[in-house]
Amino acid sequence: MKGHWFNRVLIGLLLAVCFTWLVIPFALAMLWSLVDPNHPWSYPEILPPALSLGRWIEVWTTTSLPQTLVNSYALAPSVAICALLLATPTAYAFGRLDFPGKGPAQILTLVPLVMPGFVVAIFFSSLLFSLGFYSRFAGILIGHTVMFLPFAIRILTVSFALVRQDLIDAARDMGASPWAVFRAAYLPVLRPGILAALIVVFILSIEEFALAFIVGAPDFTTVPTILYSYLGYNFIRPNAAVVSLILVVPNVLLMLLLERLLKGANPASITGKG
Amino acid sequence: MSKLEIDRAEIRFGSYEALKGLSLQADDGQFVTLLGPSGCGKTTLLKAIAGFLPLDRGTIAIDGRDMKGVPPERRDTAMCFQSYALFPHLTVAENIVFGLRQKRLPRAEQVARLAQVAEQVSLQAQLDKLPSQLSGGQQQRVALARAMAVRPGVMLFDEPLSNLDAKLRDQVRLEIRQLQRAHGFTAIYVTHDQSEALAMSDKVVVMNAGKIEQVGTPEDVYKRPVNRFVADFVGTANIVPVEIVGRDAAGGTYAVSTPMGPAQVRSDEPPIADRVYACWRPEDAALMPGDTLGDNIFRLAVRARTFLGNLTDVSIGAAGGAGPSYRVQTLGFADLLEGVSYSFHVPPDRLRLLKEAVA
Amino acid sequence: MKVRQTLLAYALLLPGLGLILVFMAFVLGMAISQSLGFFNFSGESGFSLRFWETMLADHQLWRSFWYSLRVATLSAILSVLLAYPLALWLRKPFAWSGTISALLKAPLLVHGLVAAFLYINFISFQGFLNLALVSTGLIERPLRMQNDANGIGVIFLQVWKQMPFALLLLTGAVQAIGDDILDAARDLGANAWQRFRKVVVPLTLRAMQGAIILIFIGAAGDFSFQVVAGPTNVNSLSQFMYRIQETSVDGWNSAAVVAVLLMATALVGSVLLAGAVQLLSRLGRA
Repeated sequence: MKGHWFNRVLIGLLLAVCFTWLVIPFALAMLWSLVDPNHPWSYPEILPPALSLGRWIEVWTTTSLPQTLVNSYALAPSVAICALLLATPTAYAFGRLDFPGKGPAQILTLVPLVMPGFVVAIFFSSLLFSLGFYSRFAGILIGHTVMFLPFAIRILTVSFALVRQDLIDAARDMGASPWAVFRAAYLPVLRPGILAALIVVFILSIEEFALAFIVGAPDFTTVPTILYSYLGYNFIRPNAAVVSLILVVPNVLLMLLLERLLKGANPASITGKG
Repeated sequence: MSKLEIDRAEIRFGSYEALKGLSLQADDGQFVTLLGPSGCGKTTLLKAIAGFLPLDRGTIAIDGRDMKGVPPERRDTAMCFQSYALFPHLTVAENIVFGLRQKRLPRAEQVARLAQVAEQVSLQAQLDKLPSQLSGGQQQRVALARAMAVRPGVMLFDEPLSNLDAKLRDQVRLEIRQLQRAHGFTAIYVTHDQSEALAMSDKVVVMNAGKIEQVGTPEDVYKRPVNRFVADFVGTANIVPVEIVGRDAAGGTYAVSTPMGPAQVRSDEPPIADRVYACWRPEDAALMPGDTLGDNIFRLAVRARTFLGNLTDVSIGAAGGAGPSYRVQTLGFADLLEGVSYSFHVPPDRLRLLKEAVA
Repeated sequence: MKVRQTLLAYALLLPGLGLILVFMAFVLGMAISQSLGFFNFSGESGFSLRFWETMLADHQLWRSFWYSLRVATLSAILSVLLAYPLALWLRKPFAWSGTISALLKAPLLVHGLVAAFLYINFISFQGFLNLALVSTGLIERPLRMQNDANGIGVIFLQVWKQMPFALLLLTGAVQAIGDDILDAARDLGANAWQRFRKVVVPLTLRAMQGAIILIFIGAAGDFSFQVVAGPTNVNSLSQFMYRIQETSVDGWNSAAVVAVLLMATALVGSVLLAGAVQLLSRLGRA
């Protein structure tokens, strides 16, 4: 069939491109992070002269990376939980109730997605400043929660909509208390949605740059902002490589976990990520 | 030269053989129905004719031209899809002229054909509507009109009536046949409904598991089925294994021994073996008065009786409940009693020998 | 009890949607009012158009404006143009299609800054690409490709990151088109290109518009790619806004003007792009 070999060529081409596009840059990043601090790698050598974990150790002990990791990984779960709690009532309304203005309301929840990140970041910080609100952690927490609410709402709405009315009715018919009804009819369907919402917001918070940068500067660093510091005027390639890997690897693992969780539903269409 | 000629067509999906070397012909203006159960390959064959599936072996020729390598968009075929496949973003009128625009027909011609076809399927009032605003029956007509507007050499129908309710089905069935006669296009019609096949076709092709079991006029396949499959699929049949015990010297009549009793059978062709299958239709049996006995008269007990309005369906078999049941059916059996034996007569020319030996 | 249910629904919307709207209203309000002279942290507050006047007369602002507009439009269009054929190719599963799909969507998992870093690493003066080109003899001395003046690096990064997103949206839309409908179009004589413009495009229009709008807005407001890989002689609007806020005397207020301009650009640009796409689709259907 004529189609077949054409397909094969395309596949081959694509794999080659992906290799150049993805694999090589990452391999390079890994290499850079493993360059021995005492044997710098410079042109025209093709490969670094010596590999060691020296760079990793150095970054860990001399920079603010440990504190940064604490910041990021304390912030993200907090944001996730807040977003989940705040999103649930709205998601319930969208998923199970019908009311006038529902359509426009659902569109309005997407507003944070169309506001340019830096605008929100700068003017939110301006707002905080004029209110005399100085806690950086809390400021970023609030900002992130609002920015990522649409995602949590969207995911939970789908989950709530999947709860079957006939199961609710059956549970009530058999005399179950509200809590028992919840456990029997709602929880099984909501559980993957809740987990998905938590993971998605967690990842988004870890990766968010604009707000963390503006509101957090200069004391409160997150992983993206510390990476930025190594990419600006202060370009230290190996440090940047180390932080890059720290940023990407956990998130990839989390996304794979998420994919496994939502096997069946299409997670990408819900979260906007692959 | 026939309009459509299929020669030893074979299609395989992996190790599954969907078509096993089929050959078939359709003349210009003939209405040919592919009849068979799900999975017999009739839709596969239809798609191969349309060009959506390539043949692994064999040829398909339309107007004498080999269609190998010719894609659907360049074949002189048009298909009426089971799901209608109407373009949801186009109005009825735009759907109907879609094929005409592809052919780049002059505008005036497009308008004329649209009007003609819309009138034939009674859709003039719906031309500006979107498919989502139409009922099932109306959508089916748009699909029909769209295919007809193109005036194809061969029109293909993929179970077009299966999504309609019974009354509508009968009506549209008639309309399709009338349109086909009026226009004179060659039609290949796929269905699993044998009454549709019998009602509409010039030629019926009975298919089973990728092979053709029998080709013939509706009368041929109903009255003279060649094997058990055809006998049972087209209409209802009582199938019995019989043993040939004697032959009339003048030829044509054979004495047979059946599980129901001895009988005489008329047959134009000699039986293919000493033990073959025979069939008779429920409407062929007549109730004899009293205890009559004789050739072709079988004494059987009523096992169950179902009143169907214009008919009564009766299940009969050997007294005592052992052995197979047979179905008989006509008007006026209302007064048969369950459990009681009666005499049933099946005439020699209605007890048909099949060309299938008993294993 | 329709009224009661409606009230209940709106009460439930408060913590979620309500919070979003209040927050955004405040931020937006802050930006607009600061641009009009209020909340002046370094001087007296009061209604004034002077910030608008100063900024709109600033030549640099307009350079940034046109630059961001150009980058955003090109990124959005290129991403969608690349995503369409891929979405159509991957419509029906075939051997390896799952792997390919995953590989194509991988950039979504990579943080923007990391992507920028990998990119400059790759094309830097002593980086892999130059090394490969020199060692294979294609060029004699390494090329200076980093921070190119046209923003090609930024556009490349935007497309690298956003094309998978467009692919995601389009794949869903394309897979929703029934096979039967495409078969019917073929059956009636339409070849591949005709099927694309008469059936596929009209039926995936919404998804395409969504993708273009979101990519455009994201690219118009870009900061990270610009700072790491962009030209040094012109700023993106976000970068300009940030710089003004940090460095100039009336930083916040001037930056506010840029912010409002940026948002207006995002809005108007999106509407225009979506409209243009709709128009093209109409023309293509003919």
